[in-house]
Amino acid sequence: MNAPTTMRLPQSADFRFPAAIEPARQEDLRLVTGTGRYAADWIYPGMLHAFVIRSQVAHARISKTDFSAVREAPGVVAVLTASDVAEAGFGSLPNAVTNKARDGSPQKQVLMPVLATDRVLFAGQPIAMVIASTARAAQDAAELALVDLEALPAVAHVGDALAPGAPQLHPDVPGNLSLRFEAGDAEAVEKAFAVARFVSKLRVESQRLIPSPMEPRAVVAIHDPGSQKTRLHAPNQGMVGMLNYLVAITKWPAESIEVLAQDVGGSFGIRSGAFSEHVLVMLAARKLGKPVRWVGSRSEVFLSDFHGRALALSGAIAMDEQGRFLAIRFDDEVDLGAYNCYFSTHIGTRNLSITMGGVYKVPALAMRSDLVFTNTVPISAYRGAGRPDIAYAIERLVDHAAHEHGFDPVALRRLNFIDREAFPYTTANGTVYDSGDFEQVLDRALELADYSGFRARQQASAAQGKLRGIGLAFYLEASGPGGAPKDQVEGSFSADGYMTVYAVTGASGQGHETSFAQIIESELGWPAARVRYRAGDPAHHLIGNSTGGSRTLYGAGSAIKAMCAAWIEKLKPEAAQRLGLSTDDISFVNGGFHKTSSLSKALPSDPAAAASLSVETLIDALIAEGRAGELGVIGEATSGSTFPNGCHCAEVEIDPDTGMTALLHYIAVDDLGKVISPQLVQGQVHGGVVQGWGQAFCEHAIYDRGSAQLLSGSYMDYAMPRAGCLSSIRNDTINVPTRLNLLGSKGVGESGCSGSLPALANAVIDALRPLGVSSMDMPFTAAKVWAAIRQSDHGA
Amino acid sequence: MKIRLIINAITHEVEVEERTLLADLLRDQLGLTGTHLGCDTSQCGCCTVHLDGEAVKSCTMLAVQAAGCSVLTIEGLAQAHADTRSGFESIDSSRERSSLASEEAGQALEVHPVQAAFAACHALQCGFCTPGMIMASADLLRRHPDPSDEQILEGLAGNLCRCTGYVNIVKAVKQAAAQMQTLAAARSGQ
Repeated sequence: MNAPTTMRLPQSADFRFPAAIEPARQEDLRLVTGTGRYAADWIYPGMLHAFVIRSQVAHARISKTDFSAVREAPGVVAVLTASDVAEAGFGSLPNAVTNKARDGSPQKQVLMPVLATDRVLFAGQPIAMVIASTARAAQDAAELALVDLEALPAVAHVGDALAPGAPQLHPDVPGNLSLRFEAGDAEAVEKAFAVARFVSKLRVESQRLIPSPMEPRAVVAIHDPGSQKTRLHAPNQGMVGMLNYLVAITKWPAESIEVLAQDVGGSFGIRSGAFSEHVLVMLAARKLGKPVRWVGSRSEVFLSDFHGRALALSGAIAMDEQGRFLAIRFDDEVDLGAYNCYFSTHIGTRNLSITMGGVYKVPALAMRSDLVFTNTVPISAYRGAGRPDIAYAIERLVDHAAHEHGFDPVALRRLNFIDREAFPYTTANGTVYDSGDFEQVLDRALELADYSGFRARQQASAAQGKLRGIGLAFYLEASGPGGAPKDQVEGSFSADGYMTVYAVTGASGQGHETSFAQIIESELGWPAARVRYRAGDPAHHLIGNSTGGSRTLYGAGSAIKAMCAAWIEKLKPEAAQRLGLSTDDISFVNGGFHKTSSLSKALPSDPAAAASLSVETLIDALIAEGRAGELGVIGEATSGSTFPNGCHCAEVEIDPDTGMTALLHYIAVDDLGKVISPQLVQGQVHGGVVQGWGQAFCEHAIYDRGSAQLLSGSYMDYAMPRAGCLSSIRNDTINVPTRLNLLGSKGVGESGCSGSLPALANAVIDALRPLGVSSMDMPFTAAKVWAAIRQSDHGA
Repeated sequence: MKIRLIINAITHEVEVEERTLLADLLRDQLGLTGTHLGCDTSQCGCCTVHLDGEAVKSCTMLAVQAAGCSVLTIEGLAQAHADTRSGFESIDSSRERSSLASEEAGQALEVHPVQAAFAACHALQCGFCTPGMIMASADLLRRHPDPSDEQILEGLAGNLCRCTGYVNIVKAVKQAAAQMQTLAAARSGQ
């Protein structure tokens, strides 16, 4: 492959928007002009290219490998094998979160090796990396590898892995059970079921998904022998988190690794951890003294990006005569895939159990989760990471119980809501919800959905031979507590008149550069257009969390608010001096310093009045005086989980002749606390709802039961949502502020998935209920729905 | 083998392997990394460019198949729009350039109405699918200047987006259509 020609390549500064256009985000100019920069776009002169040799079978002993022919192939520079990884002293991929059994015994963990040594546990597992002068040469040479695999029986599903006599994946994990996790009070739940007037049970599956950010995973490493630093360009959700994982695997000093990313083409959870390819290209770059790039093809990342979901939840609910909830119990089967990687334990334990009562008063709660190994791609976080799954299970169960026992599903929910006066509310398993107003959220959703007019619309559909259904669902989730002790940001000003904010959390589409600048404008009065946001600059050693768990806006955002407060304090003496007043006599209001006595009760009557000085004017003056360098501050805040919640309502129409479901209306009413940018919040809701639509109607990572081969291994076989899957989403927010962080915001990233799975499923089941269908697992493909209609009493 | 083709109104003579894909030529040999590769089965449309004025998936054709053709990538779209506005009939004008107009004029070039509408309507989040989405949209608006919803969905059927939920993308295409019709009317009125 030739080096890039010397043609001058365009930069975003070569372009501008028409004057009449207001772009939604600061990020947009570079991204619409093709001048953004994703990992695979870092093209260095003399760069080498890597290709990964992967296991073609799901479970096998590696009896022999021979890469000599590969090494002799044209263009090949090196082959990295398990022995190179061992020689380098590398460890395995981390399990970021572990948990304990009820008796305190630790989880049985098996970590994924960077390259397989004596065994392979899933189809797609990396065995070796070929490095060559071009990507095609590396790929051609890989064909010459001799990898002798003695196939072993494989298990693709949790049920098969738990069955007596099942093939054992790991010698130290009998029965393939990594952990039996228990939460809540099983005895209290049993007692409640014993006295219950009504009991309902429902098992739901949240099927395995391919997360599919549109940017296939790519990594580029370059080593500088002078500084002994290795730089890695890799899509990630936060440079510090990624760096920690890289250090954990390589055992290299943290100061010898730099992680850089400018633009990240989607993450959804699977970009937080380091993969084998990350550390292999770093090792290759050090060994070979040249930049090395690996770019995953989509087929490869289907087999090697961690998968999402893969849970089955068996719920049971006990109610009294009036329908009051007495107890809820869940028994979960959690597919870990072949190894414990990163967040799968978190998903199967904490994230399912912590909000397992949803928005309801439930006196007794109990959960049991079995975390099980299978010969499949390891599972990690995917948008919501257990939160949408438990919301789906609760709200399907409540709907099911309502219909089974003759309650109105809306009235039953209302009866059991945690009252708005009851906050802070401690659930039966000890979670403290700080705030919420579920009645208000429900009322707004019913109004927007014209819920009371539904039966007439249903009859109109019936007259056309169509089956119409409405589905309503709540979610309440605990956002990410954060792994770092706090979030820090650093702000400074430069001579060109810009503020630069350095932070840890990196964006992958959320719009950090825009939202954080908006917070600065509203808190400090410094214009958003004069703010630059820099995530993960290696020269700025900050503490902070990665993007994830819906917490970034309020996590880093609270630190930004604190940074603004620090600036106000720092600038106050300067302002006082320039106004000829003492610091005791001036106050900061609305972006400026004012003589306190001139302020009316709330706001200065004339902001331009004498004895006023705006922050912008003051800072511009200080910059003009050459004092920009004195203006640096650090802001920091500690923010834990919040409890975003909401009510989503879907209305569908099924064509019984084809089984096709049309989504006619979708309503999302979310309590997100304080909203910073309504437009970006709406974007997050849209995206989350459509990812939920994908899971509800088309997406499914299917493994062959016998061979544990991934059958839906490309976009030819794995259906993704496309334009037109829904035509509109009506969303609104209810803003019950939280006191759990400085900003008062609750986060929005995952709510769209959590609300849409149960709302869409309840709508489909509602449409099919007249035919006697009361449950069905996602995805509700036309074929599955059509078959259910055929098999029903009415369809026969 | 050596091929000659016009890319963003600049003639290039490049050495390519017979099996080199057009997308790899653009990205790895010419450094035009605005064209993205999102899959290997022609499903995602991230690599969409215009070949002699029509949208094609550059991962699904060989570079040699583009020999003698005019290729427009996301990086050249604003320039093509400027050329159209200044009277060139085709946005894939084969007029040769040696540099970007913005460089010649020393000022930033106004983006194409589809690019502007995507930004105005919040029709992008991570931005990875965006260049392909925009190139597909520009082509569908060439074919259907006043598109129906069905025509928009058909025109975007070959492009995947994982972030936005598509609603705002459809909105942006409609907004761009209106803007382009206004511009066209202004031109014909001159």
